[in-house]
Amino acid sequence: MTEIIKILIQVLFILFIISFPITLLETDKKSKILTFSLIDKLSINLIFLINVLFFASMLNINSKYILYSYVILIIFLYFFNFRKFNFKSIKIDYYFLVLLSFTILISIDIAHELYFAWDTQVHWFFKALNFFQDQEFENLNNFPVSDYPHLGTYIWSFFWKFPSNSFEYLGRITYAFIYTLSIFSITECLRVNVCEKIIFAILLIFLTYNYELFSGLQDVLVFSIILIMTKFAYYFFEKKFISNHLQLILILLGAANILCWIKNEGIFYAFFLLFCIFITNNLILKNKIALITGSLIIISLRIFIFNFYNTELNPSYFQFEKTLNFEFLLILEKIKIITFYLIIYFSQNPIYLLTIPVLIYITFKYPLKNITKFVIYFLILNFSFIYLIYLFKSTEVEILIRHNMLRVIFQTSGFYFLAIIILINNYAHLFKIKLLSK
Amino acid sequence: MAKKFKKNFGVLIISFLILSFIYNHSLFRKLYNIFVINFESRLTKKHGYCFRESVGFLRMLKKKYKFNFNPLIVNYEDAVPDSGWSIYDNHNKIDKNHKILLNYPKNLSLYFKPLNKVFYSEGTVKHSNGISNIIFDLKDEHIRIDSKIKIYRKTFNKKEIIIYEENFHRLVENKQIIPIEFKTKKINSIFKPTFIEISDLSNNQIEKINSIIVNLNHEFNLKNFTIIEKFNNCYYVK
Repeated sequence: MTEIIKILIQVLFILFIISFPITLLETDKKSKILTFSLIDKLSINLIFLINVLFFASMLNINSKYILYSYVILIIFLYFFNFRKFNFKSIKIDYYFLVLLSFTILISIDIAHELYFAWDTQVHWFFKALNFFQDQEFENLNNFPVSDYPHLGTYIWSFFWKFPSNSFEYLGRITYAFIYTLSIFSITECLRVNVCEKIIFAILLIFLTYNYELFSGLQDVLVFSIILIMTKFAYYFFEKKFISNHLQLILILLGAANILCWIKNEGIFYAFFLLFCIFITNNLILKNKIALITGSLIIISLRIFIFNFYNTELNPSYFQFEKTLNFEFLLILEKIKIITFYLIIYFSQNPIYLLTIPVLIYITFKYPLKNITKFVIYFLILNFSFIYLIYLFKSTEVEILIRHNMLRVIFQTSGFYFLAIIILINNYAHLFKIKLLSK
Repeated sequence: MAKKFKKNFGVLIISFLILSFIYNHSLFRKLYNIFVINFESRLTKKHGYCFRESVGFLRMLKKKYKFNFNPLIVNYEDAVPDSGWSIYDNHNKIDKNHKILLNYPKNLSLYFKPLNKVFYSEGTVKHSNGISNIIFDLKDEHIRIDSKIKIYRKTFNKKEIIIYEENFHRLVENKQIIPIEFKTKKINSIFKPTFIEISDLSNNQIEKINSIIVNLNHEFNLKNFTIIEKFNNCYYVK
C-alpha cells in the first residue's frame, strides 16, 4: 500500500514541480503565451525545469537547493495569484486526466517489472546513483563511458531523491510522465474533437509502449523530447502562431539543449530539426539570428564542458581512420549490412510501417506543403545519419547494429507521426468531399 | 442527439482502449503484486537470488554485513552484465580483498566439438587464468598424435588470436587427463568462439575424436580464501 501511495505522491509532485514558471507567472490575458494549451505550458515548464537541472548538475549545485527554490517560488506564486483564480470557471480537462491515468498505469508497470536493461546496469544506473548520492559531476569520470551524457540520469536521480527518497523506480516515473506528456502533446495537433485526440494518443501509446523503454535506458527520453520539439516545430506552420515565432525558437533551443545532454546522437537530431525549420520557414531576420546564435551557444557549451572536464570520446568506439581510408569494398560491405538490418528493424517498428507510406502518399498525391518538406528533409537527414554512424563505427558493425539499431530507429520514430497529422488536418476533408460527390 | 451519441461512443471507445491496455499489460495482477510482495522480493525475483545477476544475494550481504567498502564482485554467469550496481555506494572505496563470487562453477572448462578439420567450442569463460589439462574423448582406446596443438579465437575480421600453441607428441588414451599447466588470460572472452586445431591430423584420425575438453584454472580459487558467507554457488570470501 505504501508503494502505491508513494507512486501517487510522485505523480502529484511532478505535476506540482512543473506548474512553474509559465502556468503560474502568466496571468496577463493579452499575453502571447495564452495561445498555448495546458499541455504546451506544461511542456514549456518541463523544458525550463530540465534546463535548470542541467545547469545545477554542471555547476555542482546540490539538487535540494533547486527543490527549495522551486517550492518557495511555487507556493509564493500560488498565494500571490490566489485572488485571480476564478474557481467557478475551472473545468475538468479530460484530455489531461487521461494523460495522468496513463502515467499512473505505466508507473504501476515500472514498479512491478523493476528490471534494468544491460546498458542501464553497466552505465546509466551508476550515473544516476552518482547524483543521487550527491557526488559531483567530475566523479562521473570514475565510471565507464564518461563521454555519455548525464542529463537523463540526473532527472532520474532528482525525482528518485524527491519527495520520498526511497525506491529508485520513483525517479523513472518521470520518464513515464514525459513520455505520456509528449504523446498527448503531439496528438493535440490533430484538428479533430477531444475524444478522437485521446483515441489517437492511446493508439500511439499502444504502438510504442513496452516496459523495456523504461528499464533505465535513455532512448525513451530522446523519443519524448523529439516529440515535444515536433509539436512546437509544427506551430511554425500554423498561422495562429506567426507572432509567437521567437518564443517558439526559444522553446526549441531549450529542448535542443536537453536533447544534446541526454544521448550523444541527440545533438544531431536537435540540429536536424532546427535546420529543417530554418530552411522550410520564411523566418524574419531577427528570428534567424536567434536560431543560429542559440544553436551556436548550445554547441559551444557542449564543447566547452567536454574540454573543461577533460571528457574524451571513446577512441575504440569509432574508427574514423579506417573509414576514411576509403576501402571501397569494406564500405560497400558495411552499407550492405546496414541496409539489410535497417529494413529488418524498420519493419519491426509499427510507427514507421504506418507513417512512411502515409508520407509517400501525401508527397506524391498532393502539392508539397512546407510542412511536408520539413518531414521529408528530416527523414533524409535522419537516415543519412544512421548510415554514417554505422559506417564510422568499428569493423564489427553487425554486432553493434544488432545491439542498438532498433533503439536508434525508435528514437526518432515519433517525429513521423507528423505525416498522419498533415494527412488528417489538410487532406482528410477531401475524402469527405469525394465521398459526397459520389 | 447525434452529437451526444458520438460523444458517448467516443467515451466508450476510450474506456475500452484503457481497459485493453490494462488487460494487455496485466496491470491489475501487477497492482496486486505490488500490494503483497515487497520491493526487495520483487527485485530479487527479477534479477535472481543466486542465479543470473544474483542481486538478492548481494543485497542480503550488504544488509547483513553493513559494508563500508565496495567489494570486488565476480559473476561467472556470462549472459548477464556485472551486478555491482545493486550494492555500489559512492561514499565507499573499493576493497578488492573482499570478494563476492557469484555462480561459481566447480570446474571451469571448454567443450570442443569437431567442425570440419578443427574443433569448435560454443562455450565461453570469463575468470580463468590458464589451462590446466586436456582430455580427449575417443572412439577408440587410444590414438597417436604427432603434431602441434593450437588453441585460438577468431575476431570478426577473421584475424587469429593465438591462446596456446605447442608441439604435441604422445599416445593419447581415451579420457586420459593430460596436464598442460599454461598460464594465460587470453582464454577469457564471452563474445567469440574458440577453436582447437591439430595440424597434420588425417581425416581418419579426426573422425576418431568425439570431443576435446579443456579444463581451466580458476582465477579466484576458493582454496585460497576464507569463506565468510555461502549460498549454493555464491560466495562471500576474504
